[in-house]
Amino acid sequence: MSEHASREAALPDGEEGILAVRDLDAGYGDLQVLSGVDLDVRDGEYVTIVGPNGAGKSTVMKSIFGLTTYMGGAITFQETPIHELPPEEIIHEGIGYVPQNENVFAGLSVRENLEMGAYILDHVPEDQIRAVYDRFPILEERSGQKAGSLSGGQQQMLAMGRALMLDPDLLMLDEPSAGLAPDLVDEMFDRIDRINDDGTSVLMVEQNAKEALRRCDRGYVLVNGENSYMDDGDALLADEEVRQEFLGG
Amino acid sequence: MEANATVERGLRAARRSPGAAVVWAVAAVLLLDLLAKLVGVSMGPFETPWFALWFGGDVPISEVVGLAWSGVVIGAVIGLASIGLSLTYSILNFANFAHGDYLTVGAFSGWAVTYVIAGIGGLLALTETVVNAVTGLGQSRAGDVDLVSLVLLRTPPLDAGANIWLSPVAIVVGLVVAVAMTVVVALVLDRFVYRPMRDADGISLLIASIGVAFMLRYLVAFVFGNSRRIVTSTEQLPSMNVAEAVTDALPFLGPARGSIIIDLHEVTLVVVAAVLMFGLHILLQQTKLGKAMRAMADNRALAQVTGIPTERVIKSTWLIGAGLTGAAGYLLVLSQGGLGFQTGWLLLLLIFAAVIMGGIGSIYGAIAGGLVIGLASRMSLIWLQGDLSSFARPTAFALMILILLFRPSGIFGGVKTA
Repeated sequence: MSEHASREAALPDGEEGILAVRDLDAGYGDLQVLSGVDLDVRDGEYVTIVGPNGAGKSTVMKSIFGLTTYMGGAITFQETPIHELPPEEIIHEGIGYVPQNENVFAGLSVRENLEMGAYILDHVPEDQIRAVYDRFPILEERSGQKAGSLSGGQQQMLAMGRALMLDPDLLMLDEPSAGLAPDLVDEMFDRIDRINDDGTSVLMVEQNAKEALRRCDRGYVLVNGENSYMDDGDALLADEEVRQEFLGG
Repeated sequence: MEANATVERGLRAARRSPGAAVVWAVAAVLLLDLLAKLVGVSMGPFETPWFALWFGGDVPISEVVGLAWSGVVIGAVIGLASIGLSLTYSILNFANFAHGDYLTVGAFSGWAVTYVIAGIGGLLALTETVVNAVTGLGQSRAGDVDLVSLVLLRTPPLDAGANIWLSPVAIVVGLVVAVAMTVVVALVLDRFVYRPMRDADGISLLIASIGVAFMLRYLVAFVFGNSRRIVTSTEQLPSMNVAEAVTDALPFLGPARGSIIIDLHEVTLVVVAAVLMFGLHILLQQTKLGKAMRAMADNRALAQVTGIPTERVIKSTWLIGAGLTGAAGYLLVLSQGGLGFQTGWLLLLLIFAAVIMGGIGSIYGAIAGGLVIGLASRMSLIWLQGDLSSFARPTAFALMILILLFRPSGIFGGVKTA
């Protein structure tokens, strides 16, 4: 582990992860938000993006998922270029995405939400629903209830469960702890750890940067739509500059 | 004591919301008045500066039931037509002002086909005619009839018009064609007008739909002419006097006063509308497509992220919404008889009222709203007699405003398509 975070954004020796973002430019309509972003997630890795508000952290995820205007660069996932695919095809490639807000269908039941997560399959995958229920037992108890009537934490679990319905190779989580009561935040991070331990790569944006960096394998620091550097989570935590700027000293 | 407490509570509630108290008071007076009318108690006249007012009167129960039935009939049509508007509102996020004209298109195309089939003498004769015309063999039965004036609904078949008793096949095929044509028109318009502006805001879409409405309406007027015509005939149409049937079955009620006529066209309308509504309910709750439609109505961005093919769902939405609207148009004409190029446009206001009353975007609300609008516009005739009867329609709107004042998000407030 280096004493200071290396001022490099690429993996050493030109290594590529299962997700490889190279020199990505993207934005909304005419407005460019990201410029020259590089990012990798290795197989089974847990990666966090930290940075100040408005740095474009969420935009990185949306761009990977085909929800922004692509302006240049490349995104490959398991060697398939995905930067010009629509979201429904990116799902086919094996990426699951949990947006930050309004991430459940409030008017649908819990079970129906999970069924929608597997929409691209011809049949409802009962074994996968079983697996999600085993992971989040409260969802089974509430399976017939409208998702809108669940608590914030339960909705977050449902949103993750929905994204896990296709057993993705990479799970992208946008601020999973947002809006959760403090005592639920730790539990949520534990659950994410477990998902990662079971072999799913995780890419996460978190406002709770300290906790996120403590738990992840690697972190990227994103400032003004450009990523300045990356390092092991612990190394970033120890880095004076990162502490000063994003972690409140 | 008990009564005192109740009065006390009532007074407190009245002070808190005087508006509601007035509404409840008026409703109570009307209800009492209706009961008095039914039992034949009459009081008055009470002189007011403007006119004399009677309380109670003498209205046979058959008249009340008859009005309620015709309210259900018109309510079923409005409810059926409201579903399409509500679906496109919740899934595409815009108020489609061309919706009424979709209904007109359905009615005209369906009835044109009904006329041709009934005029030539049934589906078999039509097939025979087409086959003969194509192969050049055999005699053409069409020689005896003026096909053009049948298609354009100028001269009625069977001398008077079509009806379900004399030409059931023509009616059934006409209904199917009404559905199919409305679907085709809706899909074509979506492809060339609405899809290019899919991400536009609701106002732009609304204004575009007004343009579409005018285009459709005057296209229909251009083809079929602008005269209003009666297209159904009641010749030999089975109908039943329910009042007589009831008193025959239960003689102790005494002889029937008045009559409640229910004809087969009205029954057909109500049954078909109920079946279609039930089918839609099953579709929305049980099928993958229906759940996806509800999901999209809930949150379009999330539906996209989840991998729901949004364009396909939108297409299905038009298909279902327009199909039901076409059926509503055809059935409306079946029960009312009259058809003109403004038929749907004139109904649109009532359809909007039903959708708004039910809570915009809720299809169950739209169905309920349609029934309330239908019942209100007919039942109000109990009080609005003579010259006042032209206020029946405004009464329905007044009721809508009242409901919105007390439940701003509609009867099924807040509940989306679910």
